[in-house]
Amino acid sequence: MTDASPTATPDWLIRPELGLCPCGCIGKRAKADFVEKTIGSASNLMRQSMFSDDVSARDGLLQRVDARVKLVGLLALLVSSALAHSPVVLIGLYSLSLGLASASRLSLRFFVARVWLFIPIFTGIVVLPATFSFITHGHIVVPLGSWFGTRVGLTQQGLTAAGLIVLRVATSISLVVLVTITTSWPRLLAALRALLVPRMFILVIGMAYRYLFHLLGSVSDMFTARKARTVGSDANTKRDRAFVAASAGALFGRAHALSEEVHMAMVSRGYRGNVGTLASARLRATDFAFGAGALLVTLTAIGVDHVVR
Amino acid sequence: MHIPDGYLSPETCGVMGAAMVPAWMTAGRHVRKVVTSRYVPLLALGAAYSFLVMMFNVPVPDGTTAHAVGAVLIAILLGPWAAVVAVSCALGIQALFFGDGGVLAFGANCFNMAFVMPMVGYAVYKIGTRNLSLTAPRRAVVAGVAGYVGLNAAALCAATEIGLQPSLFHTANGTPLYSPFHLSQSIPAMALAHLTVAGTVELVLTAGVIAYLQRANLPVLRINHPGVREDDSTAMAPRRLGWRWGAASLGLAALLTPVGLLASGSAFGEDSPEHLNLHKYHLQTVPNGLAHYAGFWHHALFNGYDFSNDRHPALGYIASAFVGMAAITVVVFAVLALVGVVRRRHSSSDSAVDSVRA
Repeated sequence: MTDASPTATPDWLIRPELGLCPCGCIGKRAKADFVEKTIGSASNLMRQSMFSDDVSARDGLLQRVDARVKLVGLLALLVSSALAHSPVVLIGLYSLSLGLASASRLSLRFFVARVWLFIPIFTGIVVLPATFSFITHGHIVVPLGSWFGTRVGLTQQGLTAAGLIVLRVATSISLVVLVTITTSWPRLLAALRALLVPRMFILVIGMAYRYLFHLLGSVSDMFTARKARTVGSDANTKRDRAFVAASAGALFGRAHALSEEVHMAMVSRGYRGNVGTLASARLRATDFAFGAGALLVTLTAIGVDHVVR
Repeated sequence: MHIPDGYLSPETCGVMGAAMVPAWMTAGRHVRKVVTSRYVPLLALGAAYSFLVMMFNVPVPDGTTAHAVGAVLIAILLGPWAAVVAVSCALGIQALFFGDGGVLAFGANCFNMAFVMPMVGYAVYKIGTRNLSLTAPRRAVVAGVAGYVGLNAAALCAATEIGLQPSLFHTANGTPLYSPFHLSQSIPAMALAHLTVAGTVELVLTAGVIAYLQRANLPVLRINHPGVREDDSTAMAPRRLGWRWGAASLGLAALLTPVGLLASGSAFGEDSPEHLNLHKYHLQTVPNGLAHYAGFWHHALFNGYDFSNDRHPALGYIASAFVGMAAITVVVFAVLALVGVVRRRHSSSDSAVDSVRA
């Protein structure tokens, strides 16, 4: 995050601001209402996309590898982490992702935080009940008393299962983040096309992504205008819900009008229902080397897992 | 409901992905046929819209917010097959670009949210809006219910996929390898969340958007409703369901009744005194009052749904069913005839009063 190329987004623009209460007293956070939350998630989306554009433009290891090779390698590594039964293999794969991240000039602090801030909130809470003997029966290692004559506590099986799933989710998310953040969106789409995803889907995803940000501007505008019109706290849930539904309805109207305009623009430029794609770049020696490396790691991981299991 | 990578085994992901391939192919064919060259921008904007709908925070009464999926809404606006493509693309962007939902689990997520949800929801919507005009207030309500049903169908599928993991994939000592929750835990947990909060949010958003478009932007609503009349002014009287439909559904219900025999045990509170488990209630004998009143009526025609001599139990069961249904039919017709007589007498006395006044 430190290298400041002239095209990179300035740091202050993608740094999230603290949500302070309207009176300005530092340290108190007001609970965000639905308007603020929607505006917040809209700006978050834009920030994320700017940030990944910046990262994919850096000169790192993964940025130099062809997107097709990266995508195939990602799928192979994901399958190997999904097949792994031993925590050792998963830890190995996770360390590999950390190494690749630093070789691709990604801030390790960001990379670790992105994954480990998400996991305790979602996966951790979901998996926690499974460590108890009520859900996963087995050998109790941490006894917590008895319930109607049966001993209850944390079971060895439950703890192992929870550890496995948390590690696996962390490894999978790290691998996906690593590939998507180091690849620009057009290259990723071209790679999907090369991997035999039908052309119609590629075209739809590509255009959807482009107009997503256009419509996102509309959403931000609608909700910012609403916030500007609101004096004091707004606590009429029924009216708020009607506002959200009307905004979503108005957004569909806009999306439809836009699709008509886009279609007319396409037709006037000679679109007849067929699309041509540019010839994709040829693979270089580094791409082959990276692909072979990913395959080797995958096979090693599966092999080691069979031995350790 | 976005299942991340790591909860499902690669085998499950493979099966769900393979199940989606024919759905995507059929959707592509359908969409191309319906909207010709216009389909690409329409679907692209539909996918972008689907992505953004998942971002709208809908306020829930206790001050928190939740977000809807919107797949049924898109199915109502653009058609179910277009919704399959649009929601799949939106899920693809989420998985690849924003890390929401797994890459390996993409097929499973698409099956739940981009196939089951719009299809089930749209079927409910279609059945509920037969003979309704485009601006009928009931259309928005039916759309909301369709969203609710669609979301819960999708949640049931997700819960089943997650709940099958511990039974199918575990080590020798019983350690689950993927999601550790069994069907008996995953289905109630998902049902509780989706039948209450998430389903209501989906209902509110779907119904609200349709009601808004009925008010403010009817042409957009007409994209997927060609030939539906605009309002009820030119409408014919609603066609009543014929008596044949009533008879057929009652007949089906009668035919399906013996399915109850497959259940083991007896209905709660219907044991006869001699079958009571007295020991469980710390009793030595059947209480006097119970013994007296249990045998109060001895003149039943088919005692225990059988002839009194117990020689042909199956025949007796069927005969008692027929006699029972015939008796109920006679009673219903008698009551209807009585109501008819009373109403006719009432209206004739009213008209007599009117003629006197005139």
